[in-house]
Amino acid sequence: MNSQRKSRFSYKSIQNMQKALLLLPGVLLYGIFNFTPLMMMIPTSLVDWPGIGPKEFVGLDNFKKILGNEYYRDQLINAIGQNVVFFVVIIGTFLVIGTSLALLLSFKTYGRKYYQVIYFLPYPMAGAAVAYLLNLFVNPRGPLNALMMQVGLTDAPIPFLGSEDTALTTLALFYSWHRMGFAIMLILSGILAVRTDLLEASMLDGANRWQSIRNVVFPVLGPAFILITVIIMVDVFNNADYTLLIMGAEAGPFRSTDIMGTFLYRSAFGASAAASDANFGMSAAIGLITTLLILPAALFLALKNFRNN
Amino acid sequence: MDKIFKLSKKEQVVVQFIMIAWALVVLVPFLSAVLNALKPNVGAVFRDPFGFPDPITWGNFAKAWVNANFGRYFANSAFIALSSVAIVTFASSTTAFVLARMPFKGSTLIFICFMIGVIIPIRLALAPLFDTVRTLGLLDSLWSVIFVQAASMMPVAVFILVSFFQNISKEIEEAAIMDGAMPFTIYWKIMVPLIRPALATIALLTFVQAWNEYFLPLIFIQSEELYPLTLGLNQFNRQFAIQWHMMFAAILIMMAPTIIAFVLASKQFISGLTQGGVKE
Repeated sequence: MNSQRKSRFSYKSIQNMQKALLLLPGVLLYGIFNFTPLMMMIPTSLVDWPGIGPKEFVGLDNFKKILGNEYYRDQLINAIGQNVVFFVVIIGTFLVIGTSLALLLSFKTYGRKYYQVIYFLPYPMAGAAVAYLLNLFVNPRGPLNALMMQVGLTDAPIPFLGSEDTALTTLALFYSWHRMGFAIMLILSGILAVRTDLLEASMLDGANRWQSIRNVVFPVLGPAFILITVIIMVDVFNNADYTLLIMGAEAGPFRSTDIMGTFLYRSAFGASAAASDANFGMSAAIGLITTLLILPAALFLALKNFRNN
Repeated sequence: MDKIFKLSKKEQVVVQFIMIAWALVVLVPFLSAVLNALKPNVGAVFRDPFGFPDPITWGNFAKAWVNANFGRYFANSAFIALSSVAIVTFASSTTAFVLARMPFKGSTLIFICFMIGVIIPIRLALAPLFDTVRTLGLLDSLWSVIFVQAASMMPVAVFILVSFFQNISKEIEEAAIMDGAMPFTIYWKIMVPLIRPALATIALLTFVQAWNEYFLPLIFIQSEELYPLTLGLNQFNRQFAIQWHMMFAAILIMMAPTIIAFVLASKQFISGLTQGGVKE
């Protein structure tokens, strides 16, 4: 601080000014580009507004339309239902495969350091790269089908992403492939945190390995399972990158891969640039409904973090 | 204790078998990408996806880089990711410093507002967010992506840093205040050196998140010369969808930086994951 300013302002007021200057950049950045838009969802959900031009106040009409009008309601029900399937496939693979691999990694296995790195490798990669890589990989003319036909698993190539029956599950498995390392690491750190004296006590009581794992290790893993479930749930109910990348906003084939993220995107921008049914008010209303769907899980996560603090 | 975690020879074989099986699930798509990115034409890819490339064609990478404008996309991605890292590390550490070390009337309220950002993902506010960015005249500019990306990382970063700051003892700071040190000096001279590990974790998380982001550029950027790699790959897919060997080369180019970042800093990565896991 130069002496001129020192004489004009008291120590206290310079201190307060500096405090404000330190606080401000982060508060402004977050306030403008995150907090305000989140709060603006509520007023925006009450207007009919194609994104440009005047807004027309319509009260709760957007919500009524979503829940009452067949065109929107069917899309909403379809999207929520498929989102739940998407979520269940992912969380199922995470809990079954993730737990098994984490358990095996906790044993004294040869080369487990290397396995850990390999298993985690897909995690830092871009969703876009993973989507296109696996898209080519499972293509009817791609490596996976070629391999399966060579070993005789199937006679004709399977259109994993081209058929209504398998497309959604395949996209969910892409997600699992990408993020499995995350589940393994969280579960593994849970296993490694089990108190050794408890395990020793169970061994002294004559429990065999499986009994010890089931009675001592698994109960302690509860929090890790819940954490993974909640994080994945919040993520898959707002993020639809895989569908957008591979299927586009129309979420084909025949909307069979439509989830909340793509529904929300279509409602704001339409399926294509030419579409005229875009309504920002509707989009905000869908955003709020999705918020309500994930709020219990998200609140739980936040409270848990507070307690850990 | 050892009896639980030690494996007999027979068990070791079974375990190794399972471990290798999953390693193959992870690695085979990569290996097929590498093999096929080196093939001279798409015919060779379709004929035998696991065949060894003959002749090995490194030129596909150069072609993707030059002809398909990947150099440009790469530069845009790097600019977005590095600017986001700079903004997040600076803004989150100064804000968290004041909130944690110099609380005032209303600082709890500000902290709660940040926590709302942890709970509700910003993507749900798609329409108002788009409106804000357009009103500020930032549409179709890299800064729109940078600011929104940085702002979306703020809640988690502030959360991690506030708990980090609270664990630093008060004594050094009090001594400095006795000597007449101002908040700027305390922040820069005393706090920044102490929170460096947490800042490294936040920088890494932000870099990977910003580099990989697809959705924000998708809604904010129209001009092709501003595309980051994620949108560029999408564009590339439209032009070269049938040229598989080129697609594989482009995908590998895009994956390289984050994989390198991971290999160089896998420890921070995994520890950051468990702390920052709040926001996937």
